[in-house]
Amino acid sequence: MKKRDSWGSRLGIIMAVAGSAIGLGNFLRFPAKAASNGGGAFMIPYFISLFLLGIPLMWIEWTLGRYGGGFEHGTAPGIFHSVWQKNRFIKYFGIIGIFGPLIIFIYYSYIEAWTLGYSFFALIGKYTHITDQASMQSFLSGFQGLEKNQYFNGLGTAYLFFILTFIVNIWVIYYGIKGGIERLCKWAMPLLFIFGLILLARVFTLGTPDITKPTWNIANGFGFLWNPDFSALKSAKVWLEAAGQIFFTLSVGIGVILTYASYLSKGDDVVLSGLTAASTNEFTEVILGGSIIIPAAFVFFGPQDIQSIAQSGVFNLGFVTMPLVLNKLPLAQILGFFWFFLLFLAGITSSVSLAQPAVAFLEDEFDISRKKAVAIFAAVSFVLCHAAVLFLKNGVVDELDFWGGTFFLVLFATIETILFGWVFGIDKAWDEIHKGADMRVPKIYKFIIKYITPLFLMAILGMWFWQQWLPIIFMKNVPALNKPFILGTRIGLMLVFLILAILVKIAWRKKKMLAEKMR
Amino acid sequence: MTLGGWILLLCSWGVILSLAAMCFIRVFSKKDMK
Repeated sequence: MKKRDSWGSRLGIIMAVAGSAIGLGNFLRFPAKAASNGGGAFMIPYFISLFLLGIPLMWIEWTLGRYGGGFEHGTAPGIFHSVWQKNRFIKYFGIIGIFGPLIIFIYYSYIEAWTLGYSFFALIGKYTHITDQASMQSFLSGFQGLEKNQYFNGLGTAYLFFILTFIVNIWVIYYGIKGGIERLCKWAMPLLFIFGLILLARVFTLGTPDITKPTWNIANGFGFLWNPDFSALKSAKVWLEAAGQIFFTLSVGIGVILTYASYLSKGDDVVLSGLTAASTNEFTEVILGGSIIIPAAFVFFGPQDIQSIAQSGVFNLGFVTMPLVLNKLPLAQILGFFWFFLLFLAGITSSVSLAQPAVAFLEDEFDISRKKAVAIFAAVSFVLCHAAVLFLKNGVVDELDFWGGTFFLVLFATIETILFGWVFGIDKAWDEIHKGADMRVPKIYKFIIKYITPLFLMAILGMWFWQQWLPIIFMKNVPALNKPFILGTRIGLMLVFLILAILVKIAWRKKKMLAEKMR
Repeated sequence: MTLGGWILLLCSWGVILSLAAMCFIRVFSKKDMK
């Protein structure tokens, strides 16, 4: 058995987990959700969800990951099996912890490529002359290959940036945990904060750019996001949106933190490190993410248009609204580069973490070298990514995002929370959390982890089943033209899941045979 | 921006900044990984 990789420093894993959690959603999804769900009042369910759902899940995953790493397992099938050895089926539930990140990687790396492309376009001034919404939208559609126009003649440019982004991702993963991921995050995260703080300072100093519209000022821009509408708190939807945002922003329920934490040693702290990574993510989301795009868009588009802008979707906010805002400022090219390269850094520190579980699975369970595991991952994921690249207009990315990036996350988190608090047992779990801990977890969390967090998760799952299950399964909101593509995507997803299940079966059979031989 | 907006902004920022500061001060004051 070869020696497993490990982290070089505590700051390294904190930055890597924070980097995994900090993604495009921190800068685009959070402000849009807050603005359209009660403004400042949204922060009440947001913080309640953070302390009852996000932080407990963070500690659960760090602890389970470190525990599984002690048995030479870096992914959920092995980690779940280590926790519940008597159950021969639990390892199959763990497949979600490889499947989910792989599916997210398929489309996320392509979106990440757009941010790299736009960083380049900003520097050379390719879009900086565009000043109206329709033209900027047309620029984006042309780049995505959805239409041929004066800006782009097809998918070629986006594909080129996709290849480049893919190679960079594989290159980072190839150098391993310490030499690749940790090294990347240690310079990418500070750079991301610097770019974020520069943009924050620029937004703060916008003042009132048009003196003929005195109410279109930065204070009112912040007001649009923060003025509370407490009546929104009566709506269950607002509470679910807040819980969902906390869930997705912290990268819990994916399987990535399990894998990262598996490279810790038994005596390494998980309590303080996990909390530090979570608070770094919150700083980026609420303070940086909440202060850039919405307040800036308010100042230039005014109180009427901002309503529709906030609800126009993440891609429109990031790739249409923000470049338009920056184009109205001096040094538009540099500021545009800062914005898109910030998104690229947020993206790449997440995408390498999404690739790692599949690579770790091949390395740990099949005992093959990292080079070989990365080569297999690169070949398979490169083919799979084409589903997102070629069929974006047919709704394939949204479909992948629903299954890989939404549904399975909540399901997986529910399974691991029950496994941790009930199967492993809360007393044993409590001792395990505190092994090598540099701070004590408040005792109330023993109750929260055992009862509140699983109930909270089951409520989210239950609401989804109640509200969305049937329309989604029967593709009620899918245009007829896209139905074959959505069906094809679902069949493809089932095949990927089945192949992973077969691999788990083969790996465990091999281990069993080896153990019998040793006897 | 209303008074309620300011209060919520300052409270949210306050909670997050103090949590992050407390964490990083502790991280840098403890020894690195064993």
